[in-house]
Amino acid sequence: MKKLRIMRGREKMIEVKNITKNYGRKKVLKGVSFTANKGEITCLIGINGVGKTTIMNAIMNLTPIKSGEILIDGKKVDKASYEKITFIPDEITMLQQMRIEEAMEFMKDFYTSWNQKRADEMLHFFRLEKTDRISELSKGNRAKANLLLGLALDVDYVLMDEPFSGIDIFSREQIAEVFTSHLIEERGVIITTHEIHDIEHLIDKAVLLDQGVILKEFDAEEVREKEGKSIVDVMREVYRA
Amino acid sequence: MKNYLKLVNFEVNRFIKVYLSLIGITVVLQLVGTFLKSKSYLKEANWMIYKEGVPVQEFLEMNGYMDLVRVLGSWWFIFPIIICIAVLLIYVFLIWYRDWFGKSTFIYRLLMLPTARINIYLAKATTIFLMVLGLVALQLVLLPIENKMIDVMIPDEFQMALTSKEAISSYHPLSVLFPNYFSDFLIYYGIGFMVVFLIFTAILFERSFQVKGIFYGIIYIAIMMGILVAPIFTVLFTGKSYLYPLELFYLEIILGILVMILSILISRYLLNKKITV
Repeated sequence: MKKLRIMRGREKMIEVKNITKNYGRKKVLKGVSFTANKGEITCLIGINGVGKTTIMNAIMNLTPIKSGEILIDGKKVDKASYEKITFIPDEITMLQQMRIEEAMEFMKDFYTSWNQKRADEMLHFFRLEKTDRISELSKGNRAKANLLLGLALDVDYVLMDEPFSGIDIFSREQIAEVFTSHLIEERGVIITTHEIHDIEHLIDKAVLLDQGVILKEFDAEEVREKEGKSIVDVMREVYRA
Repeated sequence: MKNYLKLVNFEVNRFIKVYLSLIGITVVLQLVGTFLKSKSYLKEANWMIYKEGVPVQEFLEMNGYMDLVRVLGSWWFIFPIIICIAVLLIYVFLIWYRDWFGKSTFIYRLLMLPTARINIYLAKATTIFLMVLGLVALQLVLLPIENKMIDVMIPDEFQMALTSKEAISSYHPLSVLFPNYFSDFLIYYGIGFMVVFLIFTAILFERSFQVKGIFYGIIYIAIMMGILVAPIFTVLFTGKSYLYPLELFYLEIILGILVMILSILISRYLLNKKITV
């Protein structure tokens, strides 16, 4: 997955540089820095409340940061960036009363990067009905529809917040399958999770967070090959230290 | 521009069911009200004239003529207008907060659209304006119909033949909602729309800075109001005016436009730099 990184002499990546953020007096991010390359799956790992979602929101300019900088392919996020990067939060970002087909129509209306062929393909893969209302979907199917709306955009980067959170085992398996498919290949992915078992073998880079700071950032494959450790092994070392 | 229009279309569609209900309530209550008012006038006239033997002229002196003003002053007419105003006032707030609260995380989608974020603000404002103007237009269509109903139901000798325009002018509260002159219409509705911009910006302050934001929003509205009333207060308190009334009027219009532009600029800044989902 690490082949597509270099284009025109510049690395394609998301750069998070020393960002800080406070909620009132509470410091939620205390100088977070990491990079996520195109063509790789980067996983932000940490228990709930350590700032994973805040980092995602900050990358998408959905919440202001106190200091630091976030660049996507060397540029700050602006309106054009949303044709290049998408965010799939843990709850579907569409009106509840919409049918799936209306939600797709909405996306098609606003995004030039919308790929209807891919959307139809995912609809089929997830066995979702176009005419189903979002409010009437099961939790697993809502997560799938949410994923569909994000992944059917032809963007370079995809951010996913807890895609496996609180959904049934079969839906989890289906979603995990997406990560090995062409839907993800060649894109840069940042995923947050506190339960990495479903995708441990797919992760290229792991970023371990705690209390708003990065405890460790490492190449999963390298650690696997050189030290013979899994991501969970490293997590045990870091979080129990 | 294209995205702005798409967003307007989208926002209008989101509210259309409630809006059509408002239209339905207004049409039904006002027409039923006109019918019942006319009917009760007729009943009274029949009773007095045919049963009690009161001469027509005396009846008219006692009870007056039947005209649209009787309907305008009744709850049948006023109640739906109050409901429409109340619902639209609530919707000025709800049009933003519904994207944040409840099960909806739709604000994520709106803010991640590949378009200038100020278009979201302008589209929501345009939706409110269209809804308001739509209801005004509906009322202007309904009034002649109601007048015609009276005309059909009441014998000529019992009618004060007023046009709907004359009826509105003689019933003061309505002449604010439906002014006689276009310039008055522009002023009253201009003030209304400016207030919508001010509230929208205050909401964005709250959405950006939470509890502190409520405070900022209130201060912002107070300052803007201060700017607007300053020239008038100067005249009132000093007793001196350096401007002719017409010049003062133009100054107020310029200040009003400035306040609107400022609201849009501040909102653009908040949406781009400070807003939080």
